[in-house]
Amino acid sequence: MARRLRIRVDYHRCVGSSICVLTAPGVFALNDRGQSAVIDPAGDGVEKILEAAEGCPTLAITVEDEDSGERLFP
Amino acid sequence: MLVQDDLLAPEVVRDPYTYFARLRQLDPVHWNERWGGWLVTRYDDIVRAFRDPARLSSDRMAHFQQELSPHDRERLHVLIRYFSRWLVFTDPPYHTRVRMLVNKAFTPTSVERLRPRVRAIVSELQDHVAHRGHMEFIRDFAFHLPVIVISEYLGVPPQDREAVKEWSDETSRIFFIRADDPQRRERSQAGLVKLLEYFEPLIHARRRHPRDDLISALVQAEERGDLLSHDELLATCTVLLFAGHETTTNLLANGLLALLRHRDQWERLARDPSLAASATEELLRYDGPVKATFRWARVDAELGGRTVRAGDRMLLVLASANRDPERFPHPDRVDITRNPNPHVAFGHGIHVCLGAPMARLEGQEAFAALAQRFPGMRLATDELEYHPTIVSRALAELPLEW
Ligand code: SF4
Repeated sequence: MARRLRIRVDYHRCVGSSICVLTAPGVFALNDRGQSAVIDPAGDGVEKILEAAEGCPTLAITVEDEDSGERLFP
Repeated sequence: MLVQDDLLAPEVVRDPYTYFARLRQLDPVHWNERWGGWLVTRYDDIVRAFRDPARLSSDRMAHFQQELSPHDRERLHVLIRYFSRWLVFTDPPYHTRVRMLVNKAFTPTSVERLRPRVRAIVSELQDHVAHRGHMEFIRDFAFHLPVIVISEYLGVPPQDREAVKEWSDETSRIFFIRADDPQRRERSQAGLVKLLEYFEPLIHARRRHPRDDLISALVQAEERGDLLSHDELLATCTVLLFAGHETTTNLLANGLLALLRHRDQWERLARDPSLAASATEELLRYDGPVKATFRWARVDAELGGRTVRAGDRMLLVLASANRDPERFPHPDRVDITRNPNPHVAFGHGIHVCLGAPMARLEGQEAFAALAQRFPGMRLATDELEYHPTIVSRALAELPLEW
């Protein structure tokens, strides 16, 4: 079964660069305030999600394993 | 006239904050007749503008070309050709494609690996001046650190650093030097040509023998799916090198000056270097290296209650957003523990500075190390001068003693 992830965006940090949206468009979208929002935590595979989190210029995205609580990024 | 309209008046250059604070109160989206564009000074309006690339273009070269005669366009064709491929001056979809390609090299995680090396360079630079008891901070420190870091990262050998720095400075004339230098476009192009001639063989060498550096990584990105054309690759090498220089120098100098003028904050950082990260954010906010950036309206747009017409240019005044009391409590105070600190010193939105993680790293390492090593450091003079430019906040000199 696919890993269930908890993905969070810190709004104090997000600067609306769109990098995450372009990297994992199934998961992130810009909201009406121009910041990233998680639209579906299972919208892309874990690899794409981690790539998006790592690509974020401000480290605004954190990713955890929903079941084990393990921190996957950062 | 509400306020005086000369953005290069000595008092505005010396203290842009008082000037822009007045504008922010009186007329936050202000038409400046003399400059021929809108000055946007409120935090919320600026952030909104940054988040609207579909209506507000960054394509500086398109507008630059329109102002030139056919003869000048011909004479400056190299400058136009490469500047129009620089990420800062481009819009999607070009901007998106190249930015995604280059971004990986500049994420906080990839840049973090440089920390030990940055720390070592900072320490060496301090060793050079420690015995003297005085230095001119820009010439002796702030100028070197960014050049060494970006050169090493890109893969420019140490013996070429000085030359490359000089060409980069020439290239910058068109942006940072006062508009009344009649030769500035030609000199800028000449500097750029030198940089292009320099990178061309370096790119070929890395294509044959890749190393662990950024040029090799960019070359490989080019080869993998023909993602970066040769021109784009050259343009990207020049802009990365260029962008890493002067702005970081100014971040270091402005930041150190602010700390020395707020002695309690300096002492606090000296006692507790773990404040380096939040201190760097606060110094970026309080007196960052870039005062403003440009946008051009593609269509008629509403901003802060004003109608901006298609084709109008505007100046998004970062220096003003970062002191907006609506967003930052006690904005004119330096508080190195300020949190949250959503400043826009690096811009915001799709054009947010790609080099931000690297600039942050250099600032953190430099401020903390200087405070630790030279707790008694003070300004050697109160007569400080700034270069008269609209977009950058750049001290001419910063003499220090300890
Ligand atoms: S990459 Fe980071 S800063 Fe950019 S939109 Fe996504 S969360 Fe925000």
